[in-house]
Amino acid sequence: MGESGRGCCPPMDLMRSEPMQLVQLIIPIESAHLAVSYLGDLGLIQFKDLNAEKSPFQRTYAIQIKRCGEMARKLRFFRDQMSKAGLPPAARSVTPSLTSLDDLEVKLGDLEAELVEINANSEKLQRSYNELVEYKLVLEKAGEFFYSARSSAEAHQREYASNLSGEESLETPLLSEQAAMDPSKQVKLGFITGLVPRDKSMAFERILFRATRGNVLLKQAVVDEPVIDPVSGEKVEKNVFVVFFSGERAKNKILKICEAFGANRYAFNEDLGKQSQMINEVSGRLSELKTTIDAGLVHRGNLLQTIGEQFEQWNLLVRKEKAIYHTLNMLSIDVSKKCLVAEGWSPVFATKQIQDALHQATHDSNSQVDAIFRVLHTREMPPTYFQTNKFTSAFQEIVDAYGVAKYQEANPGVYTIVTFPFLFAVMFGDWGHGICLLLGTLYFIIREKKLLSQKLGDIMEMTFGGRYVIMLMALFSIYTGLIYNEFFSVPFELFARSAYVCRDPACRDSTSVGLIKARDTYPFGVDPAWHGTRSELPFLNSLKMKMSILLGVAQMNLGIILSFFNALFFKNSLNIWFQFIPQMIFLNSLFGYLSVLIIIKWCTGSQADLYHVMIYMFLSPTDELGENQLFPGQKLTQIVLLLLALVSVPWMLLPKPFLLKLQHSRHQGESYAPLPGTDESLQAEANHDSHDHEEFEFSEVFVHQLIHTIEFVLGAVSNTASYLRLWALSLAHSELSSVFYEKVLLLAWGFNNVIILIIGIIVFICATVGVLLVMETLSAFLHALRLHWVEFQNKFYEGDGYKFYPFSFALLDYEEE
Amino acid sequence: MGFLVTTLIFLVVGIIASLCVRICCNRGPSANLLHLTLIITATVCCWMMWAIVYLSQMKPLIVPILNETE
Repeated sequence: MGESGRGCCPPMDLMRSEPMQLVQLIIPIESAHLAVSYLGDLGLIQFKDLNAEKSPFQRTYAIQIKRCGEMARKLRFFRDQMSKAGLPPAARSVTPSLTSLDDLEVKLGDLEAELVEINANSEKLQRSYNELVEYKLVLEKAGEFFYSARSSAEAHQREYASNLSGEESLETPLLSEQAAMDPSKQVKLGFITGLVPRDKSMAFERILFRATRGNVLLKQAVVDEPVIDPVSGEKVEKNVFVVFFSGERAKNKILKICEAFGANRYAFNEDLGKQSQMINEVSGRLSELKTTIDAGLVHRGNLLQTIGEQFEQWNLLVRKEKAIYHTLNMLSIDVSKKCLVAEGWSPVFATKQIQDALHQATHDSNSQVDAIFRVLHTREMPPTYFQTNKFTSAFQEIVDAYGVAKYQEANPGVYTIVTFPFLFAVMFGDWGHGICLLLGTLYFIIREKKLLSQKLGDIMEMTFGGRYVIMLMALFSIYTGLIYNEFFSVPFELFARSAYVCRDPACRDSTSVGLIKARDTYPFGVDPAWHGTRSELPFLNSLKMKMSILLGVAQMNLGIILSFFNALFFKNSLNIWFQFIPQMIFLNSLFGYLSVLIIIKWCTGSQADLYHVMIYMFLSPTDELGENQLFPGQKLTQIVLLLLALVSVPWMLLPKPFLLKLQHSRHQGESYAPLPGTDESLQAEANHDSHDHEEFEFSEVFVHQLIHTIEFVLGAVSNTASYLRLWALSLAHSELSSVFYEKVLLLAWGFNNVIILIIGIIVFICATVGVLLVMETLSAFLHALRLHWVEFQNKFYEGDGYKFYPFSFALLDYEEE
Repeated sequence: MGFLVTTLIFLVVGIIASLCVRICCNRGPSANLLHLTLIITATVCCWMMWAIVYLSQMKPLIVPILNETE
């Protein structure tokens, strides 16, 4: 496969992470703020925290950060208010009225106070308005009660009177007359009116009844429209009630129950005239309040509108300032308190840009002294920084999800860009499905600019982020689909006529002995004649199984070759001689040999049993092969390969730890000799030595190597077997799609009925989209992911680096939202 | 079309694709090398896939046996 990185070629993009340097900046305190702001615009330096031992409150700019936090809180308050009022903040306003932080702070304070006051006032007004609305309802409904009660009472009275005038019957109660006639003995009934939430009204009634032992009369009337509760401010469905009771104790009880049920009580006058007068009064006040509230709302809307116009700008400014002070807090302050010292990582290519930014800051802040830029030498592991674009970033993320590359080690991302979609497609080979997938992802790519600016859901976001991965996956699926000759599981004779024909014109034994190959091999992909035959599965299984092994061996070899380039790059000849070479020999003498056998078998059409050959290569290598012989001299070759494989295991295991030990003891001897060069380099060297060699422990190194060897030897077998998932998934995919095609679409077609056909088509589309395009894509994606993370990357990838997080305003947007 | 002819076609397509990318998006030597690597890898992958399927059908040990129902 295509590999490069030799000394003759220029360095490849993405193959190695950017060379980094530790830089020290000494910035005069008066230009520090501006300098950090410019560096944030540049976004190519990752500051180190030089005050790690200080708590956030002890730092130099703690007060400013607190101020920024306060302003951010105010801005959040404005945002809440705006979203409540339904006013979205305007996109970045055009008027660049860049205010200073202090002005902004004052302005925000004023605006907040004003807004809070307006809110409080309007809340108060709203409350009294709601109360009045309820009161009005009570007046109306309760008035109806009293009116109807009174009229029915009058009717009663009249009836009673007419009864009296007639003959006294036996049933006439003897006492009633007196009771009715004696007004002084009439009990004065009290009553309470109010509103109770409808869902509580039943319970309210029951409790009232129990508490007063039934000495109560409750009347309720349903209010048709929900009422805004003055206390909670929410819309609630309510009933108007009137409770009649007698006695002071009952009254107290009822009042308490009303309170417990959140029933608002309102005074009510029995007198009809007064009632109408009250209603008029209340209506007048209501309309008055309404206009006041409306005026308040308009005022508030205007205020929010003006805030909304500049909101984004302010928000950005505050967040920038906060980030700047945060960064300034990471710098250590000089003893003289005149300058700040910063340390940080930056890519080597950014040196010029950083210097320019610093110079610009000095110039713009009218500082007398220029900032100092110095490259520090260190043995610390620099962060890993890949310059990706929108196409490569998704692939790099696939690799980073496993582990961030060690500084400057070979990046599997380069090959992942092609091999990942390719292995996916081997499992997803169907050009019909590939085209569907391609159309889906093209939609994302074409509307990229629009979709980038809006917020998407979780799953959409993920699909959108991986749109280029999916595009390549779809393209390769179309290719492998053509190879497998499957279009929604239907084959087409696209490239030539099938190579197979009947043995005789009548085609009599085509179902027993089979067809015969009469023409040249089908030039591109699987012969369409296989589709739907009895021998299709055995043929495809054998083909796909062997293909999985061939592809797997090729990819694992690529992985080992990458470890060679790593060793070359880091000038680690031990790894070349005692890791790369024995690994190559081991893998290829077993599975490379198997691959060769597969190809020989195909080319010669031999009947040899490859399982048998491989198994007896280990069990009894000296036996005669007999009919399993594929080429002359096979026995000798096998013995040699077996011996090579056996030798390469101790070769991997033993020499490296001993040589490391030797190297270590030689180094120790050297470190006592005087070193040439300046003090600084001496110090650095000494530092390095102490780091590298104090911790050298032979047993640890040996165990590490032992584990590594065992892992590789066992892994060679298990990883090769693991590639068989390519076969399994591609089989599952083609079987599923052929089931959907035959058992749904063809079955529905057979009924010769339009409705059944339509239903069949709908079911077919749903099954294809749901099962094949979504679930199968997901599972093939995961399996391809595993093949890359485990089988490919464990051959060379350390993945123990850490990512480069530059201080950048551009990244600020993502973090907080 | 034999094995070698189609292989040659793959080779030619690969070369044409590399030339196209070299001409169409020339972004400095390091980026060009990346593009070249990608195209070589893609071509090799595609060729391998085709070659495997082609070779396996050259000398068939089993032949298609039609289903009884047809």
